[in-house]
Amino acid sequence: MSTATATSRIPHRVKLNLQAIVGRAYPRVIGANREPSWIFFEAILPLLGIAAYVFIYKALATRALGVILTPTPSAPYGMCGPNPCVDAAQQALFQANSIANTNALIATVVLGGAMVAFWLNVLWSMASQLYWEKEIGNLQLYMMAPMSRMALLGGMAIGGMFMTSVRAITTLVVGILVFTVTLQLGNPLLLLGVFFVTLIALYGMGMMLASLYLLWGREAFNLSALLEEPIFFSSGFYFPVGGFARFGTVGGAMLAFATAIPATLGLDAMRQIIVPGSPSLPIPIPWSQGAYLTPDLEFGLLLVLAVMFLFLARYTLAYLEKLARREGRLTSRHQ
Amino acid sequence: MDFAIETKDLLRIFKPSRKLFKRKNPNGNGAPEGPVTALENVTTQIREGELFGLLGPNGAGKTTLIKILCTLLLPTAGHAYVAGYDVAKDPFPIREKINMVSGGETSGYGLLTTRENIWMFSQFYGVPSKVAKARIDELFKTFGLWDKRDAKVRTLSSGQRQKMNMVRGFVTDPEILFLDEPTLGLDVNASRVIRDYVMGWVRRQKGKTILLTTHYMMEADEMCDRIAIIDHGRILACDTPENLRRGIRKDTTFRLEVDTLKSTSMFTGMRGVKNFSAKNDIANNTTSLTFILEDESPVSDILSSIQSQGSKIHYLQKSEPTLEDVFISMVGRGLE
Amino acid sequence: MSSAARIHWRSFKWAAWLGWEMDSNWTEPWLFMVYSVIKPIAGAFILVLMYTVFALIGQFRDPDLFSYIYVGNAFFIFVGNTLFGTFQVIQSDREWYQTLRYTYISPISYYTYIVGRAASKVAVAALAVVITLAFGALALGVRFEINLAQLPIFAAAFVLGLFCLVSIGICLAGISFMTAKHTHGLAEGIPGIFYVFCGVLFPLTALPEWAQSVGRGIPLTYWFDLTRRLLLPPNTISTGLGFFNDYEILALLLASSLIFFLMSIGIFKLGEFLARRAGKIDMTTSY
Repeated sequence: MSTATATSRIPHRVKLNLQAIVGRAYPRVIGANREPSWIFFEAILPLLGIAAYVFIYKALATRALGVILTPTPSAPYGMCGPNPCVDAAQQALFQANSIANTNALIATVVLGGAMVAFWLNVLWSMASQLYWEKEIGNLQLYMMAPMSRMALLGGMAIGGMFMTSVRAITTLVVGILVFTVTLQLGNPLLLLGVFFVTLIALYGMGMMLASLYLLWGREAFNLSALLEEPIFFSSGFYFPVGGFARFGTVGGAMLAFATAIPATLGLDAMRQIIVPGSPSLPIPIPWSQGAYLTPDLEFGLLLVLAVMFLFLARYTLAYLEKLARREGRLTSRHQ
Repeated sequence: MDFAIETKDLLRIFKPSRKLFKRKNPNGNGAPEGPVTALENVTTQIREGELFGLLGPNGAGKTTLIKILCTLLLPTAGHAYVAGYDVAKDPFPIREKINMVSGGETSGYGLLTTRENIWMFSQFYGVPSKVAKARIDELFKTFGLWDKRDAKVRTLSSGQRQKMNMVRGFVTDPEILFLDEPTLGLDVNASRVIRDYVMGWVRRQKGKTILLTTHYMMEADEMCDRIAIIDHGRILACDTPENLRRGIRKDTTFRLEVDTLKSTSMFTGMRGVKNFSAKNDIANNTTSLTFILEDESPVSDILSSIQSQGSKIHYLQKSEPTLEDVFISMVGRGLE
Repeated sequence: MSSAARIHWRSFKWAAWLGWEMDSNWTEPWLFMVYSVIKPIAGAFILVLMYTVFALIGQFRDPDLFSYIYVGNAFFIFVGNTLFGTFQVIQSDREWYQTLRYTYISPISYYTYIVGRAASKVAVAALAVVITLAFGALALGVRFEINLAQLPIFAAAFVLGLFCLVSIGICLAGISFMTAKHTHGLAEGIPGIFYVFCGVLFPLTALPEWAQSVGRGIPLTYWFDLTRRLLLPPNTISTGLGFFNDYEILALLLASSLIFFLMSIGIFKLGEFLARRAGKIDMTTSY
């Protein structure tokens, strides 16, 4: 093909791929909203799981406050940590700190709960999707169509983000209102930047996993199921992930692993930006010492992760598509 | 001459797939799974504007060939060209020119309407949205789906679903269309509508090519300009239906219906018998036999063999060869 | 054995076999076992970290509440697995394997079939619970205090708890007949109801009064309370159920389990009837 022809085809390819993105996003946006039960099952019910984590912190806080505020013969001003409070002022300070800490931790859970929606969407509607498409017979039709495979994945991602945003926003709004969480908005631009780059990196990771899952059969389902709780845990969806640093080498290794998952950095940065109060326990560098990853640095790292995952997704998919064509796996069902 | 489709010494071997995790008893008996040759040295040329048929029993390699030509599967060896492009090296330009419809396919999203589903697929081919919608409406009317245009896909019957798949195939107005058993399981009327449209589409317009696989002899005979007979991954013959029939016209074709035979092995290798097929009809307790003979001399031997089993002959007829007889002559059995 | 009993036994036996095969045959048994315990252990770790972070920030250690949370979470593995094992049968057979229509028209008890399909998940959950509890005792300092004389009451409570869980799962299965594919929302959300209202991870008293009343209407609340009473040493936690003795709790568990069992039959039959009427028995969702 001559250079001139190649150049003239660029707008054609761009148009084709944009159309493909819209086409693939469409069923997710329209289809999901056609099934009203979806709102209940995907947006309302998950709130309960989040509420349970909130109540754990509330229960712990209630008992802690009881200890701070209850005078005993040996501690007439209650207990301030492991020692008796020296006077009413110290007791009041501890009480105020305890309330602020609880708010910060509950805000952590609410924010994490909102982001859980995206992680689950990435796992179940991105990573496993190509395998599912193969099962229902769509994959072969996609693979013989002329659009870029990244456009296909991009459409899935955009549709998924849209669907999931409903759940995430519900969680956030209900969480803030019901649990009376106090948030601050010091740097809205950075917050938006971190949020969107986190999503891009997260869905880029989903695209990469989708390609890998193309090679696997029913193992894909089990792998997705396996990646739920361990990632909730390692990415600190329900607690400040900096807490790992208190577990020595094991905690440090866990943090090192977790920082490769975009949700870890994104959540930590967003918490640092919008959760008021001191005890946010951000990710320390090096893992056991006093310096911390700042939201700016985390934003930068997320950008790197986003580019890396999209790049990996592009090449993994191209490679694995070729492999799947060679081995005849694009069309065989129920492997 | 430009060929729409061309294959040279095409070979496809399926090897057992590798798994991420080892599964217990992969094939039930613990024995390793071996490679399977699905296509062997397939060489064929399909001209632009042709409606080309591929006729063969289950497992003959028809679908494998279509998958290779649709860029879904790579050949193990040999070459295949579609619209002048190599399927292994240049899949993207091919994809802009082709589409494929399989019989019994269940693609699409159950919660979308039929129109939305087709529209979505049209977008993957870059068809402008307005053009796509106009074509969808026109095709829905042609295929008798107009009443179902706003029905959700999950509510369609299998026949309606297959018609929707046909619309999906035509909506992108491909240069080359692959139809893999497109009338599988459809009733007579639905099959008729599809056959008429397919024949009209390829003949009405210049430069359109169709590769059709089918089980139905009548369908192949009626629709195809040329037919390739394929079995065990090899193309046994390729010509117009008339020429294929003419090829065995010098042979003699006999049809018999007899009481159910316990065995038909005595006909194998019988002097003068080129090939034969036998089909039991359990309900009527009969066996239908078709013999392709070099001449009429083996008839008496055949009748003696039948009578020696105590089987009564219901009728015996000498007839003009059909496409099915051609198939029997080459493959050694009928399609069903 | 009567012919009805034979049908139920056949349904259960083959469904249990099928459930086990479907759950486990994608890999070697040992790898399946590892896989089956990693998820619940990771779930327990989340709580450990939550507690650790709270203790660090607030300079307040609360081993009683930690043990309460840990044991509640361990036994909650039964809830997640049993509920998922029952209600997902309809969704996976209908949407994924598309075999529901064939199983449904076969001469079996579909109710019992679902119970059978859940059996392998209950068995795997039992292993995960034991491992989680052992890890808590050995690595995290959770102190258990088991009185052998109370083993019969523990066994009775355990059996009743599972019976009740299966009944609730069947109720959900009945609802699943009518809903689109929401396996993940259900898997996450339904256990969430019990997580919040049954005092699994925090005492009932942490909830508002109306929510405590809801909790007292769910049999699992009594199951978790009794289980903890029988496994953990006396502590300072006010559960809101302290005015009942062990036998009263057991009686409440029995009564509420029977009610849920009857409800499960009613809801299952209703869901089945409505799905047949609406033509949704073998629908597929996919989007």
